[in-house]
Amino acid sequence: MNNDSTLKALLVVGLTALFCSVVVTTTAVTLQPIQRAYQDLERNRVLVGIAGLADSAAALSDREVVSLFQELDARVVNLDTGAYDDSVSADNLDGAASATDPDASVAIPPDQDIATIGRRARRVAIYVVPRADGIERMILPVYGQGMWSTLYGFIALDADLNTIVGITFYEQAETAGIGDQILRADWQAEWTGKKLYDAEGTLRFRVSNQAVDPQSPEADYHVDAISGATVTTDAVSNLVAYWLGEHGFQPFIDSLRERTDDDVQSP
Amino acid sequence: MSKARDALLNPIVNENPITLQVLGICSALAITNSLRSALVMSLALTSVLAFSNMAISLIRRHLPDSVRIIVQMTVITTGVIVVDQILKSYAPDTARTLSVFIGLIVTNCIVLGRAEAFATKHGVGMSFLDGIGNGLGYSVVLIVVAIIRELLGTGGLIGQPILPLAEEGGWFQPNLMFLLPPSAFFIIGFLIWGVRSWKTAQVETPDYRPLTRAETGAD
Repeated sequence: MNNDSTLKALLVVGLTALFCSVVVTTTAVTLQPIQRAYQDLERNRVLVGIAGLADSAAALSDREVVSLFQELDARVVNLDTGAYDDSVSADNLDGAASATDPDASVAIPPDQDIATIGRRARRVAIYVVPRADGIERMILPVYGQGMWSTLYGFIALDADLNTIVGITFYEQAETAGIGDQILRADWQAEWTGKKLYDAEGTLRFRVSNQAVDPQSPEADYHVDAISGATVTTDAVSNLVAYWLGEHGFQPFIDSLRERTDDDVQSP
Repeated sequence: MSKARDALLNPIVNENPITLQVLGICSALAITNSLRSALVMSLALTSVLAFSNMAISLIRRHLPDSVRIIVQMTVITTGVIVVDQILKSYAPDTARTLSVFIGLIVTNCIVLGRAEAFATKHGVGMSFLDGIGNGLGYSVVLIVVAIIRELLGTGGLIGQPILPLAEEGGWFQPNLMFLLPPSAFFIIGFLIWGVRSWKTAQVETPDYRPLTRAETGAD
């Protein structure tokens, strides 16, 4: 066949494309489990770091990450009832899959969907740093739509379930050098000690670019936005507002706090 | 046999893709501030080059002229994606440091250059050797530049300290400029100068020369 005929050109292009796509697909599918395992490891590394189990999580070996992760108490929370759900093990809960599975998730009412995620799982795995007489820290998974990407992270709460210990993100693809400043240690350090709820139990915490007098009571609920990264920092504020709000973990946190208050009063 | 040896060894110095043809400079500037990245990048480029040269040589008799570049690019891109996926699975940290530069092998002029100039005209075996040879030529330059930059910029190689640092009581003061891309420009420039002083056949005839005073007609 003449090499320069249209038919030949189409044939060669078609066959090359077919062959190449088979090669690419096979590689991607074969290597996916390995890459997934690595992503899980990196997520657990971040988790171990925010749990306060290591001074520098980045310096830990893979093996250390795995063994420290075992020290955390992974529990499943049913967000609809606001209570622990021990019928499923946290290890068997596939967070990513249940967030989209129509049976395992609920649609978020549009007026409440401030994190722009559409649906959320009914059951979510949380992590507790255990202490002899209760909990040391509680780590909640949070995510929401940023400027370009979905931000996935953890927020760690102190034993009073009101004071923030820290926030961190393990997956994001925001603008390099601007939006990804949310990963900066000094910005994340500003979160430490801030309060989520006021005395009436209303979620007051915000990340905003409004100037707040550090002496005023408002400063307890405020973290400064990052200049130039308004969309990303608003997204962080919104995802915290959603996940710690009434449609997220707030009923669960409220029920735990009531129980702790009773414990304190009873003896 | 000597033709095969030429295909494999000539690109290392005599027809080096970086120092003679001045191709593939962008990645050579970007990732040579650490020897580890340079080694991984060299390996990645050499495998892509060998694979694409072989594959393109295999179909060279059936390549319609009108779409040959598109077909070549498809083959090269496939090789790059496969290498990228393998790196992400088995060397994820290095893959993250190299970030976009693995993907940018697609646009590396050496790969398309060899496919177009060599693989479309030679047999599979020769094309494979040519791919390995050019990959080695690229690697040699990358590794030399990376050794100079990492050693003078940090006082160590692959993260292992070699020269005693001044801040730890030694005598060596790291020069941070070597970690920045411009230093690679200078080093590659000196390399090209060195190679061309040694192999004077590589010196290019100037495209033009300034007119002498008499020729301009001015007094």
